[in-house]
Amino acid sequence: MRVDEFMTTRIESIDADHTVYDAIERMVDRRIRSLLVNFSEKDKDYGVITARDVVFKVLARGANPKETRVSTIASKPIVCVDREADVTDVPPLMEKSHIARVFVCEDNKIVGVVSLLDLMAASLIIRARGDHVP
Amino acid sequence: MFLKKILSYGKQEEKVLEKIEKHVKLLCFACDSFHIAMAKDDRSLMREVIDLEREGDTLRREIISTIYAGAFLPYLRPDLSRFVEIVDRVFDSLEDTAFNYLDVQLPEQIIDECVRVAFLNDKMCEMLALTFEALLEGEDLREKALAIRIYEKKIDDIKFSIIKDIRRLPVDNFWEGRILAEFVSGLTAISDTIEDASDHLQIIHGGLRS
Repeated sequence: MRVDEFMTTRIESIDADHTVYDAIERMVDRRIRSLLVNFSEKDKDYGVITARDVVFKVLARGANPKETRVSTIASKPIVCVDREADVTDVPPLMEKSHIARVFVCEDNKIVGVVSLLDLMAASLIIRARGDHVP
Repeated sequence: MFLKKILSYGKQEEKVLEKIEKHVKLLCFACDSFHIAMAKDDRSLMREVIDLEREGDTLRREIISTIYAGAFLPYLRPDLSRFVEIVDRVFDSLEDTAFNYLDVQLPEQIIDECVRVAFLNDKMCEMLALTFEALLEGEDLREKALAIRIYEKKIDDIKFSIIKDIRRLPVDNFWEGRILAEFVSGLTAISDTIEDASDHLQIIHGGLRS
């Protein structure tokens, strides 16, 4: 199964100069755990901020999210796979990079994101199709 | 074939099961055509989806009449007929949505998401065909039913984001807005009915085993 069959195409993003408070607001409002961070859209310079970053790098340290910029806690660079990549290629990549989501790219453009939950769902579909039963 | 083993299986029954299989495969073909027509904005292919609904209707009538002409034990007939009727409801939704597509100019902002829903509907229908095959073979349907629910959840998520997007769009007149709203709700309701069909196969499967 190709990753583009199971990626999430709706990607929420935030500019790097926004505050962590803005990021929290957006994540809670949209019920998502990460945001793509635009450092420079022109140069295709992106990062990612996750709920884990917010909690461990800001809230747990008692920092003020209204005074902390997204750019200071975002991870860079993002990890991308080709949209035609097989879903089985993704877990080793996540394990190697210690990440829970990879972005799906085509011609230098981000077209989707695949998370751990997407991978688990994809594995169930593969089993149901009878393509591969590990 | 599992059904052959546990039922008084004859020519009539074989004919019915073959036709139900054909009905489900025709639905898969219709879903695939719908997806391609949307992805390529191929309006003549979209009109063919409407023709496929008529073909599906003819098959449904043949199946129901063969069932009530004496195929299968009487207690099984309503369940099999109900499954065929649910599949037919998917054809109806596809037809209505195809009509609405031909009638409305989709806003740029929602095209990609709508094509994605059509793609997932297609995949879901393939899984329904596999579920029906598994029923015939007497296999466990649990994994396949779960796969269908996963697809449905995925479509639901996309539905809410499309609705959020269209709320922000200006509408020129009442009818344009209404047809667009009907198109979106029809497109995203197809998966609900496919899920109903899968649930019904599980009911039939449970009934045969008990």
